[in-house]
Amino acid sequence: MAFPEIVAPPAWRTVDLISDLHLQPSEPATVEAWQGYLDTTPADAVFILGDLFEVWVGDDAAALPGFEARCAEVLRAASARRPLFFMHGNRDFLVGADFAARCGMTLVADPTVLLLHGERWLLSHGDALCLEDKDYLRFRAQVRTPEWQQALLARPLEERRTLARSVRAQSEDRKRSPDMVWADVDADAARDWLRQAGATSLVHGHTHRPAVHDLGDGMRRIVLSDWDAAAHPPRAQLLCLSSAGAQRVDLR
Amino acid sequence: MSNPQVELHIKDKGIITLELDEAKAPKTVANFLEYVTKGHYDNTVFHRVIPGFMVQGGGFEPGMSQKPTGAEIQNEANNGLKNDNYTVAMARTNAPHSATAQFFINVADNGFLNHTAPSAQGWGYAVFGKVVGGKEVVDGIKAVKTGRKGFHDDVPLEDVVIEKAVVKA
Repeated sequence: MAFPEIVAPPAWRTVDLISDLHLQPSEPATVEAWQGYLDTTPADAVFILGDLFEVWVGDDAAALPGFEARCAEVLRAASARRPLFFMHGNRDFLVGADFAARCGMTLVADPTVLLLHGERWLLSHGDALCLEDKDYLRFRAQVRTPEWQQALLARPLEERRTLARSVRAQSEDRKRSPDMVWADVDADAARDWLRQAGATSLVHGHTHRPAVHDLGDGMRRIVLSDWDAAAHPPRAQLLCLSSAGAQRVDLR
Repeated sequence: MSNPQVELHIKDKGIITLELDEAKAPKTVANFLEYVTKGHYDNTVFHRVIPGFMVQGGGFEPGMSQKPTGAEIQNEANNGLKNDNYTVAMARTNAPHSATAQFFINVADNGFLNHTAPSAQGWGYAVFGKVVGGKEVVDGIKAVKTGRKGFHDDVPLEDVVIEKAVVKA
């Protein structure tokens, strides 16, 4: 199966990759850091590789004044300056075409190949490769179907907000249980994807464990950092792709 | 006079020996030694573990209950010491001069944490020493499995406990 490809125009010198900001109203410092970053980055394009939002209950949430609408304004302003690409994460998989259009963002599939300066970068959120977490993968397969999403989105907005809170609480409980699966990206699956993509570098988020893993045969897996600007020392990092390769940039 | 050294005895993992730079970070070192000698760090945990960044501890008991601390100290981040791999620095709140007991060990070169200007954004984080023994223990801590507990992210799923911190004779 061929993965979708985005061919960078020759004018793009640098492309920023960010993920796992988990934006939410209760974390204003991270929201502010994110806005400051989008206002000032010199990158020619920005790819958001999933979990920009802690939760997304439907694009209609952004039609009302509030947190989602404020984020839409920030994204709209950013996309007016440079192309903005959005990939779904496991928290914000319900972001839809309406919200993307409103923000001037392009939704991209997971995974997508980015062709930049002759290099093929395989971009993913990463959750689909955590094969050990079978319960989650079953849930993921279910919630990514149009039928499931249509049925959920047909419910009133407030009901969806309540549902999201209870799902999140259950998920936190599950993570505390001692027999929880602590899944990481499966190395064989990652190599398989890279071969299919004709690429040597996979870049993903999701696990919140930033690192570069050597996958053998000249292949590697680069893990993005999550963001937490309220913590001290703070965490707000992007990966900048250019003709020089991939470079981590810490924001302060 | 040689620099003071502190041993962090990590349960089931081994001993981390820190050498403290008394000349460059006199106030921070005195503050840290005071917490060590009064036993503050005994039975505290490394509660924030992020590989490729830093491991932070000294503020919570197992179970994530926060320990009371003393007064906030002046930030000595402008002392020329850099947040390089295996250095130890003080954690703090958003205010530059707000460190008390919590510290972190850098597990990467974190240049963006260094002092650049005497401003809220630029103060940086005060390095006051470095790991001179037990680097493999630090490497073991940064490799533990982490998750979210309450409002905290990146918390080890199994407690990483400082059984005791002692000043090396």
